[in-house]
Amino acid sequence: MASRIVSRIILSKYGYPATILNLRGLSSGPPPGTPPPQTKTSFGPLADEDRVFTNLYGRHDWRLKGAMKRGDWYKTKEILLKGSDWIVNELKTSGLRGRGGAGFPTGMKWSFMNRPGDGRPKYLVVNADEGEPGTCKDREIMRHDPHKLVEGCLIAGRAIGAKAAYIYIRGEFYNEASNMQVAIAEAYQAGFLGKNACGSGYDFDVFMHRGAGAYICGEETALIESIEGKQGKPRLKPPFPADVGVFGCPTTVNNVETIAVSPSICRRGGPWFASFGRTRNSGTKLFNISGHVNRPCTVEEEMSIPLKELVEIHAGGVQGGWDNLLAIIPGGSSTPLIPKSVCEDVLMDFDGLVAAQTSLGTAALIVMNKQTDIVKAIARLIMFYKHESCGQCTPCREGVNWMNKMIYRFVDGNAKPEEIDMLWEISKQIEGRSICALADGAAWPVQGLIRHFRPELEDRMRKFAESKQCAAL
Amino acid sequence: MAQQTVRSAVKQVKPILSLDREEARRRVVSLYKAWYRQLPYIVKQFDIPKSEAQCRQKLREEFGKHKLVNDIRVVDLLVIKGQMELKETVNVWKQKGHLMAYFKDTWEPKPQDFLSKFLAGKE
Amino acid sequence: MLRTTLGKVLNGGPLSPKHVGILSRASSQGPKKPEQIEVFIDDVPVKVDPGTTILQAAALVGVEIPRFCYHERLAVAGNCRMCLVEVEKSPKPVAACAMPVMKGWRIKTDSEMTKRAREGIMEFLLVNHPLDCPICDQGGECDLQDQSMAFGSDKSRFTDIEYSGKRAVEDKDFGPLIKTIMTRCIHCTRCIRFASEVAGVDDLGTTGRGNDMQIGTYVEKMFLSELSGNVIDLCPVGALTSKPYSFTARPWEIRKIDSIDVLDAIGSNIVVSSRTGEVMRIMPRVNEEINEEWIADKSRFSYDGLKRQRLVTPMLRDNTGELKPVDWEAALLTVAKQIKNAGSSIGAVAGGFADAEVLVAVKDLLNRLGSEALCTERTFPTDGSGTDLRSSYLLNNGIALAEEADYVLLVGTNPRLEAPLLNSRLRKGFVHNELDVALIGPKVDLSYKYNHLGDSPSVLQQLVSGQHEVSKKLQSAKKPLIIVGSEVLERSDGSAILAAAQKLSASTHPEAKEWKVLNVLHKVASQVAALDIGYAPGVDKIRESNPKVLLLLGADDGAIEKSDLPSDTFVIYLGHHGDLGASIADAILPGAAYTEKQATYVNTEGRAQQTLVAVTPPGRARDDWKIIRALSEIVGAKLPYDNLTDIRNRLDEVAPHLTRYGEAENANFFKQAQDLAKNVKTQLDNTPLDVKLKELSDYFMTDSISRASPTMAKCVQAVLKQKQSKF
Repeated sequence: MASRIVSRIILSKYGYPATILNLRGLSSGPPPGTPPPQTKTSFGPLADEDRVFTNLYGRHDWRLKGAMKRGDWYKTKEILLKGSDWIVNELKTSGLRGRGGAGFPTGMKWSFMNRPGDGRPKYLVVNADEGEPGTCKDREIMRHDPHKLVEGCLIAGRAIGAKAAYIYIRGEFYNEASNMQVAIAEAYQAGFLGKNACGSGYDFDVFMHRGAGAYICGEETALIESIEGKQGKPRLKPPFPADVGVFGCPTTVNNVETIAVSPSICRRGGPWFASFGRTRNSGTKLFNISGHVNRPCTVEEEMSIPLKELVEIHAGGVQGGWDNLLAIIPGGSSTPLIPKSVCEDVLMDFDGLVAAQTSLGTAALIVMNKQTDIVKAIARLIMFYKHESCGQCTPCREGVNWMNKMIYRFVDGNAKPEEIDMLWEISKQIEGRSICALADGAAWPVQGLIRHFRPELEDRMRKFAESKQCAAL
Repeated sequence: MAQQTVRSAVKQVKPILSLDREEARRRVVSLYKAWYRQLPYIVKQFDIPKSEAQCRQKLREEFGKHKLVNDIRVVDLLVIKGQMELKETVNVWKQKGHLMAYFKDTWEPKPQDFLSKFLAGKE
Repeated sequence: MLRTTLGKVLNGGPLSPKHVGILSRASSQGPKKPEQIEVFIDDVPVKVDPGTTILQAAALVGVEIPRFCYHERLAVAGNCRMCLVEVEKSPKPVAACAMPVMKGWRIKTDSEMTKRAREGIMEFLLVNHPLDCPICDQGGECDLQDQSMAFGSDKSRFTDIEYSGKRAVEDKDFGPLIKTIMTRCIHCTRCIRFASEVAGVDDLGTTGRGNDMQIGTYVEKMFLSELSGNVIDLCPVGALTSKPYSFTARPWEIRKIDSIDVLDAIGSNIVVSSRTGEVMRIMPRVNEEINEEWIADKSRFSYDGLKRQRLVTPMLRDNTGELKPVDWEAALLTVAKQIKNAGSSIGAVAGGFADAEVLVAVKDLLNRLGSEALCTERTFPTDGSGTDLRSSYLLNNGIALAEEADYVLLVGTNPRLEAPLLNSRLRKGFVHNELDVALIGPKVDLSYKYNHLGDSPSVLQQLVSGQHEVSKKLQSAKKPLIIVGSEVLERSDGSAILAAAQKLSASTHPEAKEWKVLNVLHKVASQVAALDIGYAPGVDKIRESNPKVLLLLGADDGAIEKSDLPSDTFVIYLGHHGDLGASIADAILPGAAYTEKQATYVNTEGRAQQTLVAVTPPGRARDDWKIIRALSEIVGAKLPYDNLTDIRNRLDEVAPHLTRYGEAENANFFKQAQDLAKNVKTQLDNTPLDVKLKELSDYFMTDSISRASPTMAKCVQAVLKQKQSKF
């Protein structure tokens, strides 16, 4: 789930949108930090020299030596010395949007931290609690390219003026945590971290914190609570973490991928990154493809690549051929599914998927072919959300449980057709009424199912009723 | 103005039975006599623990209670009430207790001062 | 320990006013007031301070937004989502309890979206709430009931009841006071927040997640606190109800009488609920100056002591030495005869529950008989200014202001058990206001951190001479308080302790002129009134004068015993409980308890308040002052008041503040008291300062009412049992 939840709230609600408008509206020409307009019309596949994560599959050495061979930690000092404004500006130019799911512009998020301080230290928190079913991009980074993340922490920390970075890593990621710890230790030994990091005169520490395996701790404020040693329950916003975050200090929470690409952006320049993907969806992205494909994989690709192309090229196509495709969940389990008809020509980016009434999320595709029991699949997802709800707010605690009960009856068809509308309404009653967005994430798959597979549900109910009648006779 | 009201009120007074004091007095006396004559029978019939003499004294007392009444309308009223009492008594529509009530009140007087109120549980 | 890092940061660091407004929930700071902003509630414009929440802004224009988890005196949780309202231009409804208003917002508390949101939340809350209202003690005063009527849907569509039913949750053992039916819980977490913020006991919390989340004590541990009963009032549903009150009455069949609590010297405002002449329960009444809206457990639950061990008829000791019931006339005549024979050799001792009316009546009577031997059970130093100046025996600065103090020195007191509501104020100051507390006396648990300076009186000496390590802190404090427990003033060197405290308070530098540093905390409700009326503190006078007749006004503390008196002393006990005092009495005159009379009490800060009659005194018991009035007439020294108005006029004559109900009459002449304190010759001795109430088990049974209460006895048992537990 990562920081997606967080940023979605930020985007949709108070404070920040106004700021966006102001920034755009004040000056006549494009202000510094505006990504150059996109001229390309077709996207992907990505050329090898443009890849950020060059050791995604672990074929090379992940430790400091190997990482430096691949270009990590190269002239980091120079980047740091260019100062925070330059880094933030470069990020803005790159058009990088948060990779945790909600896609909040990273440059802008960092610039919120540059307000005059009040004596409190600032912190960077890296959300490595990758728990969204279907998503497996951060773990690849941490497993095979941990130095990208460590270096990213340093650069992001410099950009927001943080004193230290906390990497909150999912408890189940044991190997990843140990690799990360090794990488951090190596960086300290090499003088890249700690006092006078990289010889830049800037002091920066990186700490790792292992979670205990709760999905909700991937929510920004719950993560902060968890770091503080409390129960991982989302906090009310406002105050936003940029005001009051971890230990009561201003904090920025970013996804692993967001942080890990930032050194490359700084090195190769914002315009390079912005040259990929459509306007406002720029960059490269790690896509996870799982489910009924011939070769499930994690792959770095250009944004805005057509979904069909992505599946066909990298995952070896759908099992039983493209025509055997039933539906795809395009952005991790919390996004609504899209049926095959939509999959044909949808582009894999933020705007393209929103237009298809779903969301890019973490770009974790779950492909389902026609042999799938689609209702059961969605029911299993709801069960997951029911289990992972923290229980704080009423709609999520009671509503998701109720949805779970209902949808498991739908699996057998043990319900009346009117109850489909009722389920829809309940999911609408849950959505947008709770503190964090977990409840939304639970409501959307149900809405996607009802939107696209209502006949299937009704069919099951009819069959169930008939079989019951037969039994009665 | 006020005087006028009073005058008109006096003017409007209508006698109930008696036209003058003398007539009223006559009615009282005859009621007294009627009671007086009935007393021996009442004492016997009701078997009250009082002698005839005591009853006569009580009769006198009861009439005496109203000796200061001047208004002939009130006198007439009292006479009528007395006649009703007599009728109820003679016909034995009353019971023994009703007659004995002439001799002793059936209710306790309310305590007036603090201490008696306190002891009576009223304070 | 609550006092979060967040709180520290917010109160410590200089922040922009916006942040302060948003974040600090109980902050009293903010020297320059930021400009007010205008918002619209249902198109009604209202100007509010920045940082005001939507819910507060709506309250300003009289719009009440439904809520479950929100409570004015607790931190905002924002988890019930009942207070969702529509804000124009916001795509989602907003939680009114947590969201600070922004300029120009148009809030719609009655729009379609708002209504739908409320209906949805209501439906979700009821999904797993049992339909047991007919057997639920909260029925009739249940927020969930009321709000589901007002905001809920008119029909149910909970089809799953036929398939899987509702959630069932195991009940928890919260101890002998709080009954739990956890299936009814709606997880508003008010009780948890109360426990950790106000009571300072982190026993309550949530376990489990999602639909399996439960409120409980984590481990098998009872929720024992001196303020635990308040969670019953806080609970919006019937999950936490009163155990002693369970299944006894319904809210619509009880009579509610506003009254005053007398089980400690704080004078909490209470509501006495009665039915058919019986006290059914006691609940707090809001008084911001005193108890806010909390009351201590002893005040709330010891009412069943009012039904036991009561003296219901006058009694006289016969030749065999046994007390035999007699009627009032006989009792009064016998007592009067003894008094007449004694002449002026008569004394009186006032106990902790004596009201101002009876105190005045007894004083008037004894004065008429030529005696001045009137004293209180509790001792107080008489050297120096003694009890002549009120400033030396009042909690001068008041209870409410205690939360604003920045440095508090407690001398020989355990406010947590002696005056739980004063302690909750101190804790409030500690949590929200960076209050530092130091204590001279035994090490006790005050529910917050404090600097324990040891229990030796010499610490006081060092502080006075300014040589102690905390001296500087005390001197530099802007709002310092010194709270002296009345118990240590009862020592033989009490006057020296008081003098030292007076000297010490003179050496501090409070910022505001009207800030009073010296405060004395009493333990019993009658003491201040008794001293105001002119009773002498301590029973030494009685011991010396050997009176032939001794009148005990509910003196049950054992200050005076049979062995202190000559064998022929005739002891009269006037009170409501058969306790220590009654056991040594030759005549017993049954009086009324505080729920049975309209009487005046003055609390430790000098505030006169009156109790009202909730039920009639049991049996032949009478109003205390009336007994004295009747006796006076038989003795032949008739007192000139027959009714309440008369005696109140007499009170007014004696001390006008006694009838100014609700107002605290402040003391003055601090300077003169300090000057007089210089004359005190007594030296501090070396015995360590001690308090009687050290642990919770000491708290519950301290006086004749609570000693008679079975509930309080159960509490003591529970605390002792808890001690055995490994948690």
